[in-house]
Amino acid sequence: MPATPSPLARRYRRLMLTYPRAYRRERGEELLATLLELATPDRARPTLREAANLIGHGLRARLGRPASRTVVTWSVLTALVCGLYVAAMATRLAWETSRPHPDQAETVAVLAEILPGHQVDGIHPAQALFTFYTEPFGPQMLDSLMFGDGNEYALGTTTASRDGIPPEPLEQAAADAERRLRAGGWTVYPVTHNDTYSCIGPPCDPATIPRDTRLFAKRGDTVFELELVPSRNTDSIYLGLSLSRATPAAVLPAGVAGGLAGAAVGWLLFGWASRRTQDRHAVRGTATVLYAVTMLFWWGPILPSVPAAVTHHLDEPHPRWHPLWEWLGQPTFSLLFVAGCAAALLGLCLAALPSRRRQPVVSHAPGVEAR
Amino acid sequence: MREPTFLILTALAAGPRYGYAIIQDVTTLSQGRTSLLPGTLYTALDRLAAQGLVELDREETVDGRLRRYYRLTQDGVADLQAETARLRELTTAAEHRLRALRPRTA
Repeated sequence: MPATPSPLARRYRRLMLTYPRAYRRERGEELLATLLELATPDRARPTLREAANLIGHGLRARLGRPASRTVVTWSVLTALVCGLYVAAMATRLAWETSRPHPDQAETVAVLAEILPGHQVDGIHPAQALFTFYTEPFGPQMLDSLMFGDGNEYALGTTTASRDGIPPEPLEQAAADAERRLRAGGWTVYPVTHNDTYSCIGPPCDPATIPRDTRLFAKRGDTVFELELVPSRNTDSIYLGLSLSRATPAAVLPAGVAGGLAGAAVGWLLFGWASRRTQDRHAVRGTATVLYAVTMLFWWGPILPSVPAAVTHHLDEPHPRWHPLWEWLGQPTFSLLFVAGCAAALLGLCLAALPSRRRQPVVSHAPGVEAR
Repeated sequence: MREPTFLILTALAAGPRYGYAIIQDVTTLSQGRTSLLPGTLYTALDRLAAQGLVELDREETVDGRLRRYYRLTQDGVADLQAETARLRELTTAAEHRLRALRPRTA
Protein backbone atom coordinates (compact mmCIF):
# COMPACT_ATOMS: atom_id res chain seq x y z
CA MET A 1 0.00 0.00 0.00
CA PRO A 2 1.20 3.58 -0.58
CA ALA A 3 2.86 5.22 2.46
CA THR A 4 0.18 7.91 2.62
CA PRO A 5 -3.30 6.59 1.92
CA SER A 6 -5.21 8.52 -0.72
CA PRO A 7 -8.36 10.42 0.29
CA LEU A 8 -10.35 7.76 -1.56
CA ALA A 9 -8.69 4.95 0.41
CA ARG A 10 -9.33 6.83 3.67
CA ARG A 11 -12.98 7.21 2.78
CA TYR A 12 -13.30 3.54 1.83
CA ARG A 13 -11.71 2.60 5.15
CA ARG A 14 -14.18 4.79 6.97
CA LEU A 15 -17.09 3.01 5.25
CA MET A 16 -15.49 -0.34 6.02
CA LEU A 17 -15.91 0.39 9.73
CA THR A 18 -19.38 -1.16 9.34
CA TYR A 19 -17.56 -4.53 9.03
CA PRO A 20 -16.57 -6.23 12.30
CA ARG A 21 -12.99 -5.64 13.41
CA ALA A 22 -11.88 -9.25 12.95
CA TYR A 23 -13.25 -9.25 9.43
CA ARG A 24 -11.44 -5.99 8.62
CA ARG A 25 -8.23 -7.43 10.02
CA GLU A 26 -8.49 -10.49 7.81
CA ARG A 27 -10.17 -9.15 4.66
CA GLY A 28 -9.86 -5.37 4.92
CA GLU A 29 -6.72 -4.93 2.78
CA GLU A 30 -8.03 -7.29 0.12
CA LEU A 31 -11.40 -5.54 -0.03
CA LEU A 32 -9.75 -2.13 -0.15
CA ALA A 33 -7.39 -3.23 -2.92
CA THR A 34 -10.35 -4.40 -5.01
CA LEU A 35 -12.22 -1.15 -4.40
CA LEU A 36 -9.19 0.93 -5.40
CA GLU A 37 -8.49 -1.17 -8.45
CA LEU A 38 -12.07 -0.68 -9.66
CA ALA A 39 -12.02 3.09 -9.09
CA THR A 40 -10.98 5.41 -11.91
CA PRO A 41 -7.80 7.39 -11.11
CA ASP A 42 -9.60 10.75 -10.86
CA ARG A 43 -12.02 9.55 -8.17
CA ALA A 44 -11.66 11.04 -4.68
CA ARG A 45 -14.93 9.83 -3.15
CA PRO A 46 -16.81 6.53 -3.11
CA THR A 47 -20.00 6.58 -5.17
CA LEU A 48 -23.32 6.45 -3.34
CA ARG A 49 -23.87 2.93 -4.70
CA GLU A 50 -20.50 1.81 -3.35
CA ALA A 51 -21.17 3.43 0.03
CA ALA A 52 -24.58 1.78 0.36
CA ASN A 53 -23.10 -1.53 -0.77
CA LEU A 54 -20.27 -1.43 1.77
CA ILE A 55 -22.56 -0.38 4.61
CA GLY A 56 -25.14 -3.06 3.79
CA HIS A 57 -22.63 -5.87 3.39
CA GLY A 58 -20.59 -4.64 6.36
CA LEU A 59 -23.66 -4.88 8.57
CA ARG A 60 -24.41 -8.31 7.12
CA ALA A 61 -20.85 -9.40 7.96
CA ARG A 62 -21.49 -8.37 11.57
CA LEU A 63 -24.08 -11.16 11.80
CA GLY A 64 -21.59 -13.86 10.83
CA ARG A 65 -22.89 -17.22 9.51
CA PRO A 66 -22.36 -16.27 5.86
CA ALA A 67 -24.22 -19.32 4.54
CA SER A 68 -27.35 -18.65 6.59
CA ARG A 69 -30.42 -17.36 4.77
CA THR A 70 -32.35 -16.63 7.99
CA VAL A 71 -29.81 -14.88 10.22
CA VAL A 72 -30.88 -11.44 8.94
CA THR A 73 -34.52 -12.14 9.85
CA TRP A 74 -33.52 -13.34 13.32
CA SER A 75 -31.37 -10.27 13.85
CA VAL A 76 -34.29 -7.99 12.92
CA LEU A 77 -36.64 -9.85 15.28
CA THR A 78 -34.05 -9.56 18.06
CA ALA A 79 -33.49 -5.86 17.44
CA LEU A 80 -37.24 -5.26 17.39
CA VAL A 81 -37.96 -7.06 20.65
CA CYS A 82 -34.97 -5.46 22.42
CA GLY A 83 -36.07 -2.06 21.12
CA LEU A 84 -39.61 -2.59 22.41
CA TYR A 85 -38.58 -3.68 25.90
CA VAL A 86 -35.94 -0.97 26.30
CA ALA A 87 -38.44 1.61 25.02
CA ALA A 88 -40.93 0.37 27.64
CA MET A 89 -38.31 0.75 30.38
CA ALA A 90 -37.42 4.23 29.12
CA THR A 91 -41.07 5.29 29.16
CA ARG A 92 -41.40 4.04 32.75
CA LEU A 93 -38.43 6.21 33.74
CA ALA A 94 -39.90 9.16 31.83
CA TRP A 95 -43.13 8.77 33.81
CA GLU A 96 -41.12 9.98 36.83
CA THR A 97 -41.28 13.48 35.29
CA SER A 98 -45.03 13.46 35.97
CA ARG A 99 -46.55 15.62 38.71
CA PRO A 100 -47.95 13.56 41.59
CA HIS A 101 -51.53 12.43 41.12
CA PRO A 102 -54.23 14.93 42.19
CA ASP A 103 -54.36 15.33 45.96
CA GLN A 104 -57.33 15.84 48.26
CA ALA A 105 -57.55 19.60 47.62
CA GLU A 106 -57.42 19.24 43.84
CA THR A 107 -60.07 16.51 43.95
CA VAL A 108 -62.36 18.63 46.13
CA ALA A 109 -61.97 21.48 43.62
CA VAL A 110 -62.81 19.20 40.66
CA LEU A 111 -65.85 17.81 42.50
CA ALA A 112 -67.09 21.31 43.28
CA GLU A 113 -66.61 22.33 39.65
CA ILE A 114 -68.07 19.28 37.89
CA LEU A 115 -70.31 17.47 40.38
CA PRO A 116 -71.60 20.18 42.77
CA GLY A 117 -74.79 18.32 43.72
CA HIS A 118 -73.05 15.10 44.78
CA GLN A 119 -71.39 14.80 48.19
CA VAL A 120 -68.78 12.04 48.15
CA ASP A 121 -68.28 9.61 51.01
CA GLY A 122 -64.51 9.97 50.96
CA ILE A 123 -61.49 10.83 48.86
CA HIS A 124 -58.64 8.34 48.55
CA PRO A 125 -55.51 9.98 47.14
CA ALA A 126 -53.21 7.78 45.05
CA GLN A 127 -50.46 6.27 47.19
CA ALA A 128 -47.86 6.51 44.44
CA LEU A 129 -47.47 7.27 40.73
CA PHE A 130 -47.77 3.55 39.99
CA THR A 131 -49.25 1.19 42.51
CA PHE A 132 -49.52 -2.52 43.13
CA TYR A 133 -52.93 -3.38 44.60
CA THR A 134 -53.28 0.41 45.21
CA GLU A 135 -50.14 0.38 47.42
CA PRO A 136 -46.70 1.76 46.55
CA PHE A 137 -44.68 -1.04 44.96
CA GLY A 138 -41.88 -2.44 47.12
CA PRO A 139 -39.29 -5.23 46.77
CA GLN A 140 -41.33 -7.45 49.08
CA MET A 141 -44.06 -7.51 46.43
CA LEU A 142 -41.73 -8.79 43.72
CA ASP A 143 -42.78 -12.42 44.08
CA SER A 144 -46.48 -11.53 43.83
CA LEU A 145 -45.75 -9.36 40.81
CA MET A 146 -43.88 -12.13 39.01
CA PHE A 147 -46.02 -15.07 40.06
CA GLY A 148 -49.46 -14.22 38.78
CA ASP A 149 -50.46 -10.77 40.01
CA GLY A 150 -48.47 -8.64 37.59
CA ASN A 151 -51.60 -7.08 36.13
CA GLU A 152 -52.20 -5.37 39.51
CA TYR A 153 -49.28 -3.04 38.81
CA ALA A 154 -51.00 -0.01 37.35
CA LEU A 155 -51.08 3.74 37.26
CA GLY A 156 -52.28 5.07 40.60
CA THR A 157 -55.51 7.06 40.76
CA THR A 158 -57.11 9.36 43.28
CA THR A 159 -60.65 8.12 43.81
CA ALA A 160 -63.84 9.41 45.32
CA SER A 161 -67.20 7.68 45.51
CA ARG A 162 -70.73 8.05 46.74
CA ASP A 163 -73.06 5.27 47.94
CA GLY A 164 -76.80 5.29 47.82
CA ILE A 165 -79.67 6.25 45.60
CA PRO A 166 -78.75 8.89 42.99
CA PRO A 167 -80.34 12.27 43.81
CA GLU A 168 -81.17 12.76 40.15
CA PRO A 169 -81.50 10.49 37.10
CA LEU A 170 -78.05 9.32 36.02
CA GLU A 171 -78.59 10.52 32.44
CA GLN A 172 -79.21 13.99 33.85
CA ALA A 173 -76.12 13.76 36.11
CA ALA A 174 -73.97 12.70 33.17
CA ALA A 175 -75.31 15.48 30.93
CA ASP A 176 -74.73 18.10 33.66
CA ALA A 177 -71.19 16.84 34.27
CA GLU A 178 -70.43 16.86 30.55
CA ARG A 179 -71.75 20.41 30.20
CA ARG A 180 -69.68 21.63 33.15
CA LEU A 181 -66.58 19.85 31.87
CA ARG A 182 -66.87 21.57 28.51
CA ALA A 183 -67.50 24.92 30.18
CA GLY A 184 -64.41 24.39 32.33
CA GLY A 185 -62.18 23.84 29.30
CA TRP A 186 -61.90 20.05 29.63
CA THR A 187 -61.59 17.91 26.53
CA VAL A 188 -64.55 15.55 26.81
CA TYR A 189 -64.54 12.11 25.20
CA PRO A 190 -67.68 10.30 23.98
CA VAL A 191 -69.81 8.85 26.78
CA THR A 192 -69.81 5.05 26.94
CA HIS A 193 -72.28 2.62 28.46
CA ASN A 194 -71.48 -0.89 29.62
CA ASP A 195 -73.59 -3.68 31.11
CA THR A 196 -73.02 -3.82 34.86
CA TYR A 197 -72.89 -7.61 34.71
CA SER A 198 -72.72 -10.31 32.08
CA CYS A 199 -75.59 -12.49 31.02
CA ILE A 200 -74.56 -16.14 31.16
CA GLY A 201 -77.74 -17.51 29.58
CA PRO A 202 -81.51 -17.93 29.97
CA PRO A 203 -83.53 -16.93 31.89
CA CYS A 204 -81.37 -13.77 31.83
CA ASP A 205 -82.59 -11.19 29.32
CA PRO A 206 -79.71 -8.99 28.13
CA ALA A 207 -82.13 -6.14 27.46
CA THR A 208 -82.91 -5.86 31.19
CA ILE A 209 -79.31 -5.61 32.41
CA PRO A 210 -78.63 -2.19 33.97
CA ARG A 211 -75.97 -0.19 32.15
CA ASP A 212 -73.44 2.15 33.69
CA THR A 213 -72.35 5.45 32.20
CA ARG A 214 -68.70 6.38 31.84
CA LEU A 215 -67.41 9.82 31.05
CA PHE A 216 -63.76 10.59 30.28
CA ALA A 217 -62.18 14.03 30.07
CA LYS A 218 -58.77 15.62 30.12
CA ARG A 219 -57.49 19.07 30.99
CA GLY A 220 -53.77 19.85 31.04
CA ASP A 221 -52.12 16.90 32.73
CA THR A 222 -55.24 15.76 34.59
CA VAL A 223 -57.40 12.87 33.44
CA PHE A 224 -60.99 12.69 34.73
CA GLU A 225 -63.05 9.52 34.73
CA LEU A 226 -66.59 9.40 36.03
CA GLU A 227 -68.61 6.23 36.42
CA LEU A 228 -72.31 6.40 37.18
CA VAL A 229 -73.92 3.10 38.15
CA PRO A 230 -77.68 2.47 38.50
CA SER A 231 -78.19 1.75 42.20
CA ARG A 232 -81.37 0.67 43.97
CA ASN A 233 -80.10 0.50 47.55
CA THR A 234 -78.24 2.72 49.95
CA ASP A 235 -75.05 0.67 50.42
CA SER A 236 -73.87 0.35 46.83
CA ILE A 237 -71.88 2.88 44.86
CA TYR A 238 -73.70 4.95 42.29
CA LEU A 239 -70.90 7.45 41.60
CA GLY A 240 -67.19 6.77 41.21
CA LEU A 241 -64.68 9.43 40.27
CA SER A 242 -61.04 8.79 39.36
CA LEU A 243 -58.45 11.49 38.82
CA SER A 244 -54.95 10.81 37.57
CA ARG A 245 -52.16 12.31 35.53
CA ALA A 246 -51.91 12.27 31.75
CA THR A 247 -48.87 10.79 30.04
CA PRO A 248 -45.97 13.22 30.55
CA ALA A 249 -44.48 14.88 27.45
CA ALA A 250 -41.12 13.20 28.10
CA VAL A 251 -42.55 9.70 27.58
CA LEU A 252 -42.70 9.77 23.76
CA PRO A 253 -39.14 11.02 23.12
CA ALA A 254 -37.82 8.73 25.85
CA GLY A 255 -39.61 5.78 24.27
CA VAL A 256 -38.30 6.57 20.79
CA ALA A 257 -34.73 7.15 22.00
CA GLY A 258 -34.82 4.05 24.22
CA GLY A 259 -36.32 1.98 21.42
CA LEU A 260 -33.65 2.98 18.93
CA ALA A 261 -30.83 2.46 21.44
CA GLY A 262 -32.26 -0.90 22.54
CA ALA A 263 -32.68 -2.08 18.97
CA ALA A 264 -29.12 -1.07 18.07
CA VAL A 265 -27.59 -2.73 21.14
CA GLY A 266 -29.74 -5.84 20.71
CA TRP A 267 -28.75 -6.15 17.06
CA LEU A 268 -25.04 -5.67 17.79
CA LEU A 269 -25.11 -8.20 20.65
CA PHE A 270 -26.95 -10.70 18.45
CA GLY A 271 -24.33 -10.27 15.72
CA TRP A 272 -21.46 -10.57 18.19
CA ALA A 273 -22.87 -13.75 19.74
CA SER A 274 -23.70 -15.17 16.30
CA ARG A 275 -20.11 -14.64 15.09
CA ARG A 276 -18.62 -15.96 18.31
CA THR A 277 -20.59 -19.21 18.17
CA GLN A 278 -20.72 -19.89 14.43
CA ASP A 279 -17.65 -22.13 14.16
CA ARG A 280 -17.66 -23.67 17.62
CA HIS A 281 -19.73 -26.77 17.21
CA ALA A 282 -19.55 -27.54 20.93
CA VAL A 283 -21.47 -24.41 21.89
CA ARG A 284 -23.38 -23.69 18.69
CA GLY A 285 -26.30 -26.02 19.45
CA THR A 286 -26.64 -24.85 23.05
CA ALA A 287 -26.46 -21.20 21.96
CA THR A 288 -29.20 -21.81 19.38
CA VAL A 289 -31.46 -23.42 21.99
CA LEU A 290 -30.87 -20.54 24.43
CA TYR A 291 -31.63 -18.04 21.68
CA ALA A 292 -34.86 -19.87 20.77
CA VAL A 293 -35.91 -19.89 24.45
CA THR A 294 -35.16 -16.16 24.72
CA MET A 295 -37.22 -15.31 21.67
CA LEU A 296 -40.08 -17.53 22.84
CA PHE A 297 -40.16 -15.93 26.31
CA TRP A 298 -39.77 -12.38 25.00
CA TRP A 299 -42.14 -12.53 22.04
CA GLY A 300 -44.59 -14.89 23.79
CA PRO A 301 -46.21 -12.20 25.99
CA ILE A 302 -46.25 -9.62 23.18
CA LEU A 303 -48.10 -11.62 20.57
CA PRO A 304 -51.37 -12.06 22.53
CA SER A 305 -51.09 -8.74 24.40
CA VAL A 306 -50.94 -6.41 21.41
CA PRO A 307 -54.24 -7.55 19.83
CA ALA A 308 -55.92 -7.47 23.27
CA ALA A 309 -54.62 -3.93 23.90
CA VAL A 310 -55.73 -2.76 20.45
CA THR A 311 -59.23 -4.19 21.00
CA HIS A 312 -59.42 -2.56 24.43
CA HIS A 313 -58.33 0.82 23.06
CA LEU A 314 -60.93 0.64 20.31
CA ASP A 315 -63.69 -0.35 22.76
CA GLU A 316 -63.62 2.81 24.87
CA PRO A 317 -62.18 6.32 24.76
CA HIS A 318 -58.68 6.76 26.15
CA PRO A 319 -57.56 10.22 27.22
CA ARG A 320 -54.29 8.51 28.02
CA TRP A 321 -52.92 5.43 26.26
CA HIS A 322 -51.98 2.48 28.40
CA PRO A 323 -48.25 2.43 29.13
CA LEU A 324 -46.08 0.71 26.55
CA TRP A 325 -45.11 -2.14 28.90
CA GLU A 326 -48.77 -3.19 29.21
CA TRP A 327 -48.89 -3.55 25.41
CA LEU A 328 -45.94 -5.94 25.78
CA GLY A 329 -47.80 -8.00 28.38
CA GLN A 330 -45.72 -6.62 31.25
CA PRO A 331 -45.54 -6.98 34.14
CA THR A 332 -48.33 -9.56 33.83
CA PHE A 333 -45.92 -11.99 32.15
CA SER A 334 -42.79 -10.67 33.87
CA LEU A 335 -41.77 -14.20 34.87
CA LEU A 336 -41.42 -15.12 31.19
CA PHE A 337 -39.54 -11.91 30.50
CA VAL A 338 -37.08 -12.58 33.34
CA ALA A 339 -36.64 -16.19 32.21
CA GLY A 340 -35.92 -14.87 28.69
CA CYS A 341 -33.34 -12.47 30.13
CA ALA A 342 -31.68 -15.35 31.98
CA ALA A 343 -31.54 -17.43 28.77
CA ALA A 344 -30.13 -14.46 26.84
CA LEU A 345 -27.50 -13.85 29.50
CA LEU A 346 -26.48 -17.50 29.48
CA GLY A 347 -26.21 -17.41 25.69
CA LEU A 348 -24.04 -14.30 25.83
CA CYS A 349 -21.81 -15.90 28.51
CA LEU A 350 -21.47 -18.94 26.26
CA ALA A 351 -20.50 -16.71 23.35
CA ALA A 352 -17.97 -14.89 25.55
CA LEU A 353 -16.13 -18.11 26.42
CA PRO A 354 -12.69 -18.02 24.84
CA SER A 355 -12.41 -20.12 21.70
CA ARG A 356 -9.37 -22.26 21.11
CA ARG A 357 -8.58 -20.82 17.71
CA ARG A 358 -9.87 -18.16 15.40
CA GLN A 359 -11.50 -19.52 12.28
CA PRO A 360 -10.48 -17.77 9.05
CA VAL A 361 -13.30 -16.22 7.07
CA VAL A 362 -12.26 -18.22 4.00
CA SER A 363 -10.72 -21.64 4.39
CA HIS A 364 -7.32 -22.09 2.84
CA ALA A 365 -6.58 -24.73 0.29
CA PRO A 366 -4.03 -27.33 1.41
CA GLY A 367 -0.56 -25.85 1.33
CA VAL A 368 -1.71 -22.20 1.51
CA GLU A 369 -0.68 -20.36 4.66
CA ALA A 370 -2.88 -17.76 6.26
CA ARG A 371 -1.37 -14.28 6.45
CA MET B 1 -28.71 -20.70 -7.42
CA ARG B 2 -28.92 -16.97 -8.09
CA GLU B 3 -27.41 -15.55 -11.23
CA PRO B 4 -24.52 -13.62 -9.57
CA THR B 5 -23.51 -16.81 -7.72
CA PHE B 6 -23.66 -18.79 -10.96
CA LEU B 7 -21.53 -16.15 -12.69
CA ILE B 8 -18.93 -16.10 -9.88
CA LEU B 9 -18.61 -19.89 -10.00
CA THR B 10 -18.40 -19.73 -13.78
CA ALA B 11 -15.64 -17.11 -13.56
CA LEU B 12 -13.69 -19.37 -11.20
CA ALA B 13 -14.23 -22.38 -13.48
CA ALA B 14 -11.62 -20.85 -15.81
CA GLY B 15 -9.04 -21.03 -13.01
CA PRO B 16 -8.13 -19.17 -9.83
CA ARG B 17 -9.08 -15.48 -9.84
CA TYR B 18 -8.69 -12.61 -7.38
CA GLY B 19 -11.46 -10.14 -6.47
CA TYR B 20 -11.00 -7.53 -9.20
CA ALA B 21 -10.55 -10.20 -11.89
CA ILE B 22 -13.72 -12.01 -10.77
CA ILE B 23 -15.72 -8.78 -11.02
CA GLN B 24 -14.34 -8.07 -14.50
CA ASP B 25 -14.99 -11.63 -15.61
CA VAL B 26 -18.57 -11.56 -14.33
CA THR B 27 -19.21 -8.31 -16.22
CA THR B 28 -17.83 -9.90 -19.41
CA LEU B 29 -19.74 -13.18 -18.96
CA SER B 30 -23.02 -11.35 -18.39
CA GLN B 31 -22.30 -8.93 -21.25
CA GLY B 32 -22.48 -6.02 -18.82
CA ARG B 33 -25.85 -6.95 -17.31
CA THR B 34 -24.35 -7.88 -13.94
CA SER B 35 -21.87 -5.52 -12.38
CA LEU B 36 -20.78 -6.77 -8.97
CA LEU B 37 -19.61 -4.35 -6.31
CA PRO B 38 -16.82 -5.50 -3.99
CA GLY B 39 -19.12 -5.66 -0.95
CA THR B 40 -21.44 -8.02 -2.81
CA LEU B 41 -18.57 -10.10 -4.17
CA TYR B 42 -16.92 -10.71 -0.79
CA THR B 43 -20.25 -11.52 0.88
CA ALA B 44 -20.85 -14.06 -1.90
CA LEU B 45 -17.32 -15.47 -1.55
CA ASP B 46 -17.80 -15.81 2.23
CA ARG B 47 -21.04 -17.69 1.63
CA LEU B 48 -19.56 -19.93 -1.05
CA ALA B 49 -16.54 -20.63 1.17
CA ALA B 50 -18.83 -21.49 4.10
CA GLN B 51 -20.72 -23.86 1.80
CA GLY B 52 -17.42 -25.41 0.75
CA LEU B 53 -17.78 -24.41 -2.91
CA VAL B 54 -14.71 -22.14 -3.14
CA GLU B 55 -11.41 -21.97 -1.30
CA LEU B 56 -8.35 -19.78 -1.17
CA ASP B 57 -5.76 -20.71 -3.78
CA ARG B 58 -2.89 -18.29 -3.09
CA GLU B 59 -2.01 -14.73 -2.14
CA GLU B 60 0.12 -12.13 -3.90
CA THR B 61 1.02 -8.53 -3.30
CA VAL B 62 1.16 -6.46 -6.48
CA ASP B 63 2.03 -2.73 -6.35
CA GLY B 64 1.50 -2.83 -2.60
CA ARG B 65 -2.02 -4.26 -2.99
CA LEU B 66 -3.06 -7.61 -1.61
CA ARG B 67 -4.56 -10.09 -4.05
CA ARG B 68 -6.15 -13.30 -2.86
CA TYR B 69 -6.91 -15.87 -5.53
CA TYR B 70 -9.91 -18.14 -5.11
CA ARG B 71 -10.65 -21.42 -6.82
CA LEU B 72 -13.48 -23.88 -7.06
CA THR B 73 -13.48 -26.91 -4.79
CA GLN B 74 -14.65 -30.33 -5.97
CA ASP B 75 -18.09 -29.51 -4.52
CA GLY B 76 -18.03 -26.16 -6.31
CA VAL B 77 -17.36 -27.86 -9.62
CA ALA B 78 -20.14 -30.38 -8.96
CA ASP B 79 -22.62 -27.62 -8.02
CA LEU B 80 -21.75 -25.60 -11.11
CA GLN B 81 -22.14 -28.71 -13.28
CA ALA B 82 -25.53 -29.48 -11.73
CA GLU B 83 -26.74 -25.91 -12.17
CA THR B 84 -25.49 -25.78 -15.74
CA ALA B 85 -27.33 -29.04 -16.53
CA ARG B 86 -30.50 -27.66 -14.93
CA LEU B 87 -30.29 -24.45 -16.93
CA ARG B 88 -29.58 -26.44 -20.11
CA GLU B 89 -32.69 -28.58 -19.53
CA LEU B 90 -34.79 -25.47 -19.04
CA THR B 91 -33.30 -23.82 -22.11
CA THR B 92 -33.89 -26.94 -24.20
CA ALA B 93 -37.50 -27.17 -23.04
CA ALA B 94 -38.07 -23.51 -23.83
CA GLU B 95 -36.47 -23.91 -27.27
CA HIS B 96 -38.68 -26.89 -28.08
CA ARG B 97 -41.81 -25.00 -27.20
CA LEU B 98 -40.72 -21.91 -29.07
CA ARG B 99 -39.94 -24.02 -32.14
CA ALA B 100 -43.41 -25.57 -31.94
CA LEU B 101 -44.92 -22.09 -31.58
CA ARG B 102 -43.14 -20.60 -34.59
CA PRO B 103 -45.22 -22.18 -37.43
CA ARG B 104 -48.46 -21.11 -35.76
CA THR B 105 -47.36 -17.52 -35.17
CA ALA B 106 -45.76 -17.17 -38.60
